[in-house]
Amino acid sequence: MISTDPWVWISALMTICSFSLLYGENPLFRFGEYTYTAIVVAHSVVTGISTLNSRFAPLFSGAKPLLIIPLILGLMSLFVVWRRYAWIASFPIAIMIGVGTGLSMRALIATEILSNIAAVIRESGLILVGPPVSSLGYLIRVVFTITGVFYLLFTVAHKGPLNKPLSYLREIGKYAFLSYLGLSVGNAIMQHSGLATSAISRLLGQWLGL
Amino acid sequence: MSKTLTYYRTYVIRALIIICMIATLASWYLVSPPIDALANELSIWNMNIVTFTLFVGVITILSRYVQGVKERADNWVFMLYAIVLIVVWIIFGTFTGIYADIYQTAFLSTKITLHISILGQLIFFMTSAAYRLFRIRTTRTLLYALCTATIVLCNSPLLLGPFPVVDKISFWLLNNPSMSGSRALMLTGGIGGAVLGIRILLGLEKGALRATEEL
Amino acid sequence: MLVYIVTCTIPIGASFEMSDITIEIYEFVDALPEGSVVFIGGSAVFAFDLESSAALIACLKHMARNKLRIVCAPFGVEAVQFHKYCIDAAGVMKNRGGDWEYGVDYVQLPYLPGGAAAYVALMENIHTAVATDVAGTPLNDLPLMQEVRNHEDIDAWICPHWAFDMIVRYVVAERDIPAIYFAQAAAYANYVPYMMAYPGKVWMTNGFLGGAQYEKLEGVPGLGCAVVDSYAVMSVVYVGFIILGNITMLQSRDEEEEIIQ
Repeated sequence: MISTDPWVWISALMTICSFSLLYGENPLFRFGEYTYTAIVVAHSVVTGISTLNSRFAPLFSGAKPLLIIPLILGLMSLFVVWRRYAWIASFPIAIMIGVGTGLSMRALIATEILSNIAAVIRESGLILVGPPVSSLGYLIRVVFTITGVFYLLFTVAHKGPLNKPLSYLREIGKYAFLSYLGLSVGNAIMQHSGLATSAISRLLGQWLGL
Repeated sequence: MSKTLTYYRTYVIRALIIICMIATLASWYLVSPPIDALANELSIWNMNIVTFTLFVGVITILSRYVQGVKERADNWVFMLYAIVLIVVWIIFGTFTGIYADIYQTAFLSTKITLHISILGQLIFFMTSAAYRLFRIRTTRTLLYALCTATIVLCNSPLLLGPFPVVDKISFWLLNNPSMSGSRALMLTGGIGGAVLGIRILLGLEKGALRATEEL
Repeated sequence: MLVYIVTCTIPIGASFEMSDITIEIYEFVDALPEGSVVFIGGSAVFAFDLESSAALIACLKHMARNKLRIVCAPFGVEAVQFHKYCIDAAGVMKNRGGDWEYGVDYVQLPYLPGGAAAYVALMENIHTAVATDVAGTPLNDLPLMQEVRNHEDIDAWICPHWAFDMIVRYVVAERDIPAIYFAQAAAYANYVPYMMAYPGKVWMTNGFLGGAQYEKLEGVPGLGCAVVDSYAVMSVVYVGFIILGNITMLQSRDEEEEIIQ
């Protein structure tokens, strides 16, 4: 039985607006597009107001008067939208860049670089241990990782005696990336298929009651 | 702004960046209560400043749409509708609160439904692209197409049910060749990120500060 | 489109195998002592995270049954809405037929802006990083938050969002807290190196299939099982299009050769 809930009807209308793009550019899709933009922006504002209340509660209660400084800096950051006065926003942005870069540097070195190198070393010790399938797996991990790094770091061909061996390593690295891209694209099909299922089942199940 | 003031401003900004970076790095690698306190305070200030960036979007969109409505640009009717919806939604959300059931229902029925539908319909474009893209002409395209087709089928329960070993195959593929490519990207990305951080520390990169430069 | 309409109205009931990793995650959650505090948090977009909701909803029911306690820490603008969606869908709160009481078993923190700085500040001292919950109640007034002060009080972290790299950097690597990632299928390939780099500390499920497996383990069929049904047919259609494209290419190549001759 068709739903009588007005929110289900709005949801169905939005789904139809979105799927109408498959037919081509049309006013229904434009309506959905502008609705999406408006709600994203408005939701950010609503979240912002709620977050400001939460974040500056210690300032308003007098527990932490020093928070007046980030309040002023935050208001200064809004000037980035005006070209003429955008220089005012450079001070709060400098703090954001400094803190963000400092935190990411300490984390990147530990998690992206050192832990992955440690994993490669650990796995290279396991190549000759265990059943053939896992040994092959570990061998592929080590070889593909090293050649992949070679491909990315030595993208431009070098002149000299090392060019030929490096070019073979780069070629293997290229194939390593092709396999990664192919597998990740194939895996991602499941995600989009699932989202389409969710949208269509909501339309058929909740709205039309099928 | 005069050149002298611009000169001083540039150095104040650079000093701010260096102080913030070194404080956050030093608080992790050194044992020093004053540096810890400074780093924690800077993290809190960073969180508070970033909150205001949530309002940048509405300022930009509203100014563009108001301009568009005044000039009767293309789709100006939709722009007017969007302006009205933004104002109504902000009042509605502020009045009810973001954790209220009514706000949740409205948000799910509109924005989330639209977003899920937009992402979901990509499957139709991806299927159409599969017809055009996976043309096997060279060894590389053969490898690419084979990998994609293999993992698509290995994840499918049509094969998983009758042939349970297919699950082990997909796990092996995703955790060996695929993982290696991702790991190589991560390693080089990490090296690049560390180098970028050093360049920012030395003042060689401006990054987001480009938006604040005068014309 | 026809494939989806048919599979949505007439479920196939396709069966699937259980993955070892999903069983490991289930056993890890099962082994957490009663009263353990689990943080659920991360940053991304609701629509992408819907894929993770399949596993998260089943996991919430599992955690509620085992009397664990949850703190939701949203680092993305839409994460608050996502957490509420999952909690409501799981039906674990007292007002929805469950046993959890707000403030005692479950707390929802407000949006935590700032990316990396938010994670670091939260791990250092939760009460300094955020003063109130999402409704504006001071954290000190909530019984659960009186016991949870910093990273030492967190027993596990579940991430149902895209940005898992932040969790690995600032929660797993820096604070040694085990993390479970209900990965989106597209994100799985990107973040699986972390599972290899931190064995025994990081586990990941793979998209809707992983969600369906967790639902099956918990005995609560939901979105994951429904998606797996339609994907069963969609996967064949997709590979069929790849084959069709190559047949078309071979045919047009033959025709071109004929024209040249």
